[in-house]
Amino acid sequence: MNRASLHFLLAALVAAALPLFMRSGTLASEVLIFAMAAAACNLLLGYTGLLSFGQGIFFGLGSYAVGLTLLHTSLPLSLALALSTLAGAVAATGVGWLSIRRQGVYFVMLTLAFSQFFYFLAYTFKDVTGGDNGLLNIPRPAIGPFTLGNSWSYYTFVAVLFLFVFAALQRVASSTFGRTLLAVRDNEERARAIGFPVRLFKITAFAVSGAVTGLAGALHALLIGVAPLSSIEYHMSESILIMTIIGGTGNLFASVLGAGFYVIVSDLLSSIWPRWLLLLGGLLVVVALFMQKGLWGLLERLVEALRSGRKSPVEAPVRPESEGRGI
Amino acid sequence: MSTQVPILAAENLGVRYGSFVALSEVTLSIRPNTIHSVIGPNGAGKTTLFHALTGRVRASSGRIFLNGRDITHVSDDKRVPLGIARSFQVTSLFQNLSVRENLRLAAQGRTPLRALAPWRGVDPRGSALAVADEVMERLELTHVSERAAGELSHGQQRRLEVGMAVAAKPRLILLDEPTSGMGIDDVEAMKALIRDLGRDHTVLFIEHNMGIVMNISDTVTVMRAGRVLVEGPPALVRDDPEVRRAYLGNMITGDIA
Ligand SMILES: Nc1ncnc2c1ncn2[C@@H]1O[C@H](COP(=O)(O)OP(=O)(O)OP(=O)(O)O)[C@@H](O)[C@H]1O
Ligand SMILES: [Mg+2]
Repeated sequence: MNRASLHFLLAALVAAALPLFMRSGTLASEVLIFAMAAAACNLLLGYTGLLSFGQGIFFGLGSYAVGLTLLHTSLPLSLALALSTLAGAVAATGVGWLSIRRQGVYFVMLTLAFSQFFYFLAYTFKDVTGGDNGLLNIPRPAIGPFTLGNSWSYYTFVAVLFLFVFAALQRVASSTFGRTLLAVRDNEERARAIGFPVRLFKITAFAVSGAVTGLAGALHALLIGVAPLSSIEYHMSESILIMTIIGGTGNLFASVLGAGFYVIVSDLLSSIWPRWLLLLGGLLVVVALFMQKGLWGLLERLVEALRSGRKSPVEAPVRPESEGRGI
Repeated sequence: MSTQVPILAAENLGVRYGSFVALSEVTLSIRPNTIHSVIGPNGAGKTTLFHALTGRVRASSGRIFLNGRDITHVSDDKRVPLGIARSFQVTSLFQNLSVRENLRLAAQGRTPLRALAPWRGVDPRGSALAVADEVMERLELTHVSERAAGELSHGQQRRLEVGMAVAAKPRLILLDEPTSGMGIDDVEAMKALIRDLGRDHTVLFIEHNMGIVMNISDTVTVMRAGRVLVEGPPALVRDDPEVRRAYLGNMITGDIA
């Protein structure tokens, strides 16, 4: 079995196992929704080498788009979701197009600036977005013959979409496009010198990432029945980035780990101790200092240790990583 | 010499880095299917000339023509599909990617927009991979095809650097000091390769090894302080007193075969 099918199988296992371990369908749905957002972020961070603080914009716009569509029109859910996906893609194309004109720190600052800009936009146009209160009472209509009212039936819907999106992102990552992104991350100058219009590739990566993030935002709004202002806040971008980095940027499944860890641990800690974010900050420091391949790297080392432990007491030589490296 | 359209021509080309003039009034004409070398002391502007011809740096004055077409304002990536490819003096590879993937990408760079479709996989029988395999064979890199470029020896990295230009199947290939830092055996192999490349490409190369320059060039351009000093066939250039002075008389030692 090749690496991609293994990772897809792992993703499917996570989707199937969450209901067995979790009491709340809402929390389980949240894990998969943020897994999509983190995987989309990984396409930019891990594959293209772009640290984007704009992910919250696309997430928030997805939330608003689905809310506005369902509140003000009679379009079916599928179309509302498609519109959210489109909103994310269009916004990401614009933000990407403008931000990648600068490199390194200035690029990051630009995405940050856009993130603030869209936040204030949402805050200012209260009539449309509900401002501080958020866009309330978003309905969750049935999709075809399936009603989604129950939190576990909604989870099933999210899980199916998640697997579809995950497979699509895998396809993107292994396509000639995805492999060119890896080349861009590795050596942008050379990529241009051998003929690739690097900016066009980066913008396209943004568009794909924004589309998936917009969809995730829409699913989140449907989950909680609200498109809150916090969805488009800078903090949302930060959370998505943290999930991506904690999971590891070497492959897409790592993002599922990162999102799962973040969502579940946040939920546990926030009920015990209101200052739990401190711990998360500490964890991030540990990841940055000692485990740059994130949770995925940890898992890999664990599997390696188990394997070599079973084979012989002598330590097995460390195999060099063959897929993408950490940032 | 002839009425043939030069494959590449530069007219009064100038490049400035800030206020520093690195290249001025360089006029150059490369005849198709020749091997043309550029020599000159350190800092003469040879690499800068390559940067300008390939679009890496913007010309601050003058014009560049490819097969008679003005490409002065064509960006570097868009010059590759037009048939220009280059190697770098300072090795610039995709360090984390395999040798085969490096070359596949270089071959793909001729038709870069085909790689833009996010759903299109890499065709295992596709032409880019076939080119990569062919170039690896030619540069004796087949046995390390799956190794990351960053893990290769210096000599292998230099060969791959040249391979990146070859894989683009350009009409005009620019090599910036292809033998720099190579051992004796590798230098001989590279010399043979450049001569071989000259059979189906036009080759423009920068080289400090006069043995190679004088042996395989049809034309030699000598640069100094951002200008063209002398240009002509190897024998003429070798005996030019100006050239000898530029080199302090001690660098031109290669024999002419
Ligand atoms: N990016 C840059 N900014 C400022 N000055 C530069 C830059 N690149 C090169 N120079 C200067 O321009 C001059 C020409 O440099 P160039 O690299 O073209 O020389 P060269 O002939 O290739 O030399 P060498 O034989 O050492 O490779 C040098 O004086 C160099 O210091
Ligand atoms: Mg040089």
